[in-house]
Amino acid sequence: MSDQTPLVRIEGLSKHFGDTVALDNLTLDIAKGEFVTFLGPSGCGKSTTLRILGGFERPTTGRVILDGEDVTRQPPEKRHVNMVFQDYALFPHMTVAQNVAFGLELKGMSRSEIRRRSEEIMSFLELESYASRYPLQLSGGQRQRVALARALAPDPALLLLDEPLGALDAKLRGQVQQELKSIQRRTRKTFFFVTHDQEEALTMSDRIVVMNKGKVEQDGTPEELYFRPASRFVAEFIGETNLLSGQMRGTEGDKVVMDWENTTLLGTAPAGIPGKGQPITASVRLEKLGFSAERPQTANAVQGRVVGKTFLGSRMAVQVAVGDGDVLLKAYVDVQTGQSVDDDLIWIGWEPDNMAVLND
Amino acid sequence: MNDRPELFRGNRIFLACIYWSFVLYVFVPLILMVLMGFKDSKFIGFPIRSWTLEWYVGVFADAEILSTFGYSVAIAILSTLISIFVGTWLAVLLEGRKFWGRTIIFGLAVLPALVPGIISAIAFRIYARWLGIEPGMGAIVWAHAVHNVPFVVLVVMARLSTLPRSQIEAARDLGADPLISFIRITLPYLVPAILGASIFCLLLSFDDFVRSFFLGGYEPTLPVLIFAMLRSGMSPEINAIATVALILTAVVGIWAERFTRRMNKDS
Repeated sequence: MSDQTPLVRIEGLSKHFGDTVALDNLTLDIAKGEFVTFLGPSGCGKSTTLRILGGFERPTTGRVILDGEDVTRQPPEKRHVNMVFQDYALFPHMTVAQNVAFGLELKGMSRSEIRRRSEEIMSFLELESYASRYPLQLSGGQRQRVALARALAPDPALLLLDEPLGALDAKLRGQVQQELKSIQRRTRKTFFFVTHDQEEALTMSDRIVVMNKGKVEQDGTPEELYFRPASRFVAEFIGETNLLSGQMRGTEGDKVVMDWENTTLLGTAPAGIPGKGQPITASVRLEKLGFSAERPQTANAVQGRVVGKTFLGSRMAVQVAVGDGDVLLKAYVDVQTGQSVDDDLIWIGWEPDNMAVLND
Repeated sequence: MNDRPELFRGNRIFLACIYWSFVLYVFVPLILMVLMGFKDSKFIGFPIRSWTLEWYVGVFADAEILSTFGYSVAIAILSTLISIFVGTWLAVLLEGRKFWGRTIIFGLAVLPALVPGIISAIAFRIYARWLGIEPGMGAIVWAHAVHNVPFVVLVVMARLSTLPRSQIEAARDLGADPLISFIRITLPYLVPAILGASIFCLLLSFDDFVRSFFLGGYEPTLPVLIFAMLRSGMSPEINAIATVALILTAVVGIWAERFTRRMNKDS
């Protein structure tokens, strides 16, 4: 992605709170202009990483290098980094314009320069008409934009976003996600986004780092994470999936051969495949399973019985019992194309590329 | 709102009776005091046969009473300024921090409010003599300030504990060092508490008798003057002074209460 030096270099970062290890030896580079999302359940270390980058926590060990400079011990006010807080942290006694100008004043800009820059950023975020209002007079979405404007105004090298959409209602959230992504594209700023919402991460990010128990589970593009999860944790955390527990039989070229419910299946493998005869788990996304009345041409195919259907609007979720009937596969059927799943017995097929063998 | 059990009629009347008897109990003495200030006779008591404003005219024409009033106000303002400064500083030091001796400092900061007035007044008197401080305005201001610090500490700490940590972090993030973020974020946030505490301190100081009596020089504060006048017999003039003081303190108190409540609601 980048052949230059990275904007942020995180080296062996650990943070201990008493006996708890919040962050365990994290090493990572962030390129300029990237939209990186740290995704994980609460307590996975994503917020700790963010707070260390912002200067609000000192790491127990490790270093943070920003633009070639070691900033590990710098206080927040010295860093060329700004943050959008989870509760927005707008100053209630200042107007929108004063909030936005706060960071510029402290940079020692001239009055006319401050005015020009705040007007520019407020018009960019369509906040001009609210300039003289106070934060309490704004809606949640407007406050969120003010927080963003205030953090972007001083032109930071890195923008940190701490679950900034958590307080918005579901409908607004979708809209703000698109907005944030487009703002990031237009400003070409590096965004470091923290969330526990996998959908949010998939929609906005160039790159997602999935965290669990203070460690990186997987680091890749949204597509890689979704279709080729490296671990069971990632497969289960992101989207809905079918987990197939079987036995390792061997490899065939770059494919893994596994036994599952008296069938032989082919899948793609991560690095470090378990040995022959070992139990393994593979993940297939719901939308990658196809139905047919006859045996399909795909490399993997099993027969099953439809046991449940749920209408979801544009598509239908179907549950199919396979084997002795105690293994259920879930799949989506497009309602529009009118694929028939009315038959009791049905074939399900999928390609090896769509099945990822997981590290447990 | 309305999930309280409905009161029976008898119960309601009973509660209303208790309430109104309490109101009478509190206000009848005040009303009597105010009425006597308008009585056209030196003798305090019923019946009131004719009314006059003569006592009020007398009060406002009496240079000694007026200068005593000014003296009391000056003491109240000075001691309040000191208590606010010291109390806010202590509150900021104590709130949300853990350090060795925190409990002891907190205890010492709050103690003056708990010591009985007469004991602290005598203690101050002895201490002042030992330090060589002359009785008078300085000594009174000092005693009032010490006595009022605990109220400032408690009120400001309570407000400070509701300041979200992210407010200070946001200020730091945007380039403010700890001092600037204190001045530009923490202090404005504390304004309602500081104002409320100031009014309270002003009224406490204005009202104080014991400390002012023990530490005063030749010039009396208003309560001390009233006390001195009482010794030569009760006069409606005292009622007139007291009525003016009552109205002033009530107006200031009610205004401050409403003002701080509105400010608290705004932020």
